[in-house]
Amino acid sequence: MSEIEPTQRTDLAEQRLTTTGETDETTQAAWTEFQFEDDAKLAVEALDVYYGNEQALQSVSLDVPDESVTALIGPSGCGKSTFLRCLNRMNDRIKSARIEGSVALDGQEIYSDGVNLVELRKRVGMVFQEPNPFPKSIEDNISYGPRKHGDLDTGLLARLFGTDDAEEAQALVERALRRAALWEEVKDRLGDNALGLSGGQQQRLCIARCLAVDPDVILMDEPASALDPIATAKIEDLIEELAEDYSVVVVTHNMQQASRISDQTAVFLTGGELVEYGETEQIFENPQSQRVEDYITGKFG
Amino acid sequence: MSSVTENRLAAADSTTGDLVSLGVIGVATLTFLASWLLLLQWVDETATVAGLSVLKLLGVGLAVIGGGLVVIGVGSRFDYIDTTPSSSAGAPVGVVFGVLWAILGGLAATLLLENAVVLWLPVAVVFGVVGFLASVLPGEDVGSTLPVAAILILLGVVVAIGGVNAGWTWSPDWSSASFPGSELVPILVVFGTLLGAWSAGKAKEGFGAEGRQAGAYYLIGSVVFAMLGVLGLLIGFIVTNGLQTTLTGASLLGGRQTIPFVGLQVAWPEFPFLLNQTGGLYVEIPGVLPALVGTLWLVVGAVSFAVPLGIGAAVFLTEYAERGRFTQVVEVATNGLWSTPSIVFGLFGLAFLVPRISGGNSIVVGQLVLGFMLLPLVLITSREAILAVPDARRDASAALGVTKWQTIRSVVLPAAMPGTITGVILGVGRIAGETAPLLLVFGGSPYPSTTPNVLGGFRFSAQPPFVTNEALLSPASALPYQLYSTITAGVFPKEIFTNTEFGWGTALVLLLVVVGLYAIGVGSRLYFRRKLHNE
Repeated sequence: MSEIEPTQRTDLAEQRLTTTGETDETTQAAWTEFQFEDDAKLAVEALDVYYGNEQALQSVSLDVPDESVTALIGPSGCGKSTFLRCLNRMNDRIKSARIEGSVALDGQEIYSDGVNLVELRKRVGMVFQEPNPFPKSIEDNISYGPRKHGDLDTGLLARLFGTDDAEEAQALVERALRRAALWEEVKDRLGDNALGLSGGQQQRLCIARCLAVDPDVILMDEPASALDPIATAKIEDLIEELAEDYSVVVVTHNMQQASRISDQTAVFLTGGELVEYGETEQIFENPQSQRVEDYITGKFG
Repeated sequence: MSSVTENRLAAADSTTGDLVSLGVIGVATLTFLASWLLLLQWVDETATVAGLSVLKLLGVGLAVIGGGLVVIGVGSRFDYIDTTPSSSAGAPVGVVFGVLWAILGGLAATLLLENAVVLWLPVAVVFGVVGFLASVLPGEDVGSTLPVAAILILLGVVVAIGGVNAGWTWSPDWSSASFPGSELVPILVVFGTLLGAWSAGKAKEGFGAEGRQAGAYYLIGSVVFAMLGVLGLLIGFIVTNGLQTTLTGASLLGGRQTIPFVGLQVAWPEFPFLLNQTGGLYVEIPGVLPALVGTLWLVVGAVSFAVPLGIGAAVFLTEYAERGRFTQVVEVATNGLWSTPSIVFGLFGLAFLVPRISGGNSIVVGQLVLGFMLLPLVLITSREAILAVPDARRDASAALGVTKWQTIRSVVLPAAMPGTITGVILGVGRIAGETAPLLLVFGGSPYPSTTPNVLGGFRFSAQPPFVTNEALLSPASALPYQLYSTITAGVFPKEIFTNTEFGWGTALVLLLVVVGLYAIGVGSRLYFRRKLHNE
């Protein structure tokens, strides 16, 4: 191994300085403008999020089209999960969070007063990083949402009087499980506890549970990061299939995954800033921002 | 260098050491059990085995254990036995042995020296220091065997040659208590054998880390054994004393039961002690039925009052209230309430509830007071159980658009159920045996001739309060209350049992009731757990 020359060392240091994202580059508005033909499914306008005194998102504006996969990528702590949780107001559950700006679903503001959170979350479903099935049977996990919304009546009284929706419930469970590509694996043990499934199966069960309430938009927060490669591949295939009918927004750490499955990609960088948003191909092959290029080529993050 | 490594790896193979250690452990076990036979008076201390009095035999046993330990310690030191001792037995062992030596020295000084009052302390200190150093300074093999072996041999020889025998009594000046040799010797032997077995256990694994681990297992095992022993002794004592009373007149098929409407008589189990009234003119064998029913009503009332309230408060504190000063205050208050003496609850009931509700002792006030006592435990345990439900499940439910209350009902509470039930089980065990508050707010005649008829006591009317229940507003008897009355002041009305016999019978029934309630609780906890987890 040869010694590094002093001059070389300064070069390296300089490079490291630039690759931590601390360049003088200022984000240009044009980089985040992404035009598409139809109306936006979700239109986010100047969204600021604060946790206590800390700002987690800085004036993010972004339109999500329908029937496609939108990937949110960026290093840890860049606010992409925060952004995702704003889209179905899950951040309301965090006491210290303060949200300013506007998010519109099909042109309707979701942060205005009098928005029905139940209705909103029925239309904007969410899948979490860790599979989190309920400790109930597989079919109860799927039918949980519709039952609680009163769409399915399987209560004791209804069963006594024979007016229960047992058949509808069965059909719904099968439909959701088929859609989530899990039906063939579990059809013989729908009554078993969902905690007995493997991690990948549990995650697909969570997706099926989300589909059972018939949402328009599905938010996924690193849905495959806790899974092995085979389970990940299945989830990725599933996401691409779902994009035929739903607007899917996926947060991911994995850039290969983003480039494989998404139609458009938004890059968040440190500080909660949306730096670049556009077609996935363009982002990965010809990014406009130097920092985005550094991040994508693996120089930092 | 390499030979040392080899030795250390192969150390556990030493067969001689194993044999001697096993022998010591075996003798220790036998001696230990034999001294319990003496202590429990199953064997008389004057009995002789093979011409030797049993006490002397115990002494011989101790001396043999001590001798075995000497063989191990010395053998290991001079490499006749392969071991891997550490450089020192360690300070904890030193402290234990030092304290033992100090006690021995002090006792010897008080017994042997005339004006021992002045001398015993310095002698004890010197002995203690010697014992400590003797255990800590030499290597572990010597340090953890010889100091204890010396004590065992000394004790054993003194007992074996008759220096201390059954007739001998030690009555120290500083105490009015006196310790006869027939009790003192077995007790000392019990502790001696435990100590000897500890050292032998360490020696069997060749000392060192392995040996200390074996020693630790041995210590933990003997603690568990001791605990089970105490429990078994207690239960065994109650059962042996109460069984005869409880089974008086009982038979499997001796009774007659008439089938209603048919008039046919069939053989039927008979259990007068459980199913008869206590007082009354025509009762041949007095039973505990009124008190049994009274206790069950108390528990049912207290549980149905405290459980919904406790769970509700726990839900509010964990799911709705912001964590802060308020929840902290509630927490502290709850813990304080749980440790409040039960007689205080009783006094509160007497002063506050009795005048307002029944105007005298009554079942319902008893239920309320016991409910107050149960409330904090239900609250504490269900709070813990609710906090233990992962937030991921609440998030999952919220993300499906399910409201908070529905989430609590169908996700949080079912998952918290086993924990809550554990709390209720513990609490019920306590209140079922509670006596003090019942003396103040509940008890009527301790030997009633009628059973409280709570279910049949409901009367409905068109005027407020619409429902009345005379039975709930009357005093009754409960098992612990009856037991207290019988043992302390009661003049038992029937001649068939003495006070004590009837008391033991009541105690056994009370024990069975509590065990039965436990069984119900454990069963339902298992049911919920199985439902939650894939078992």
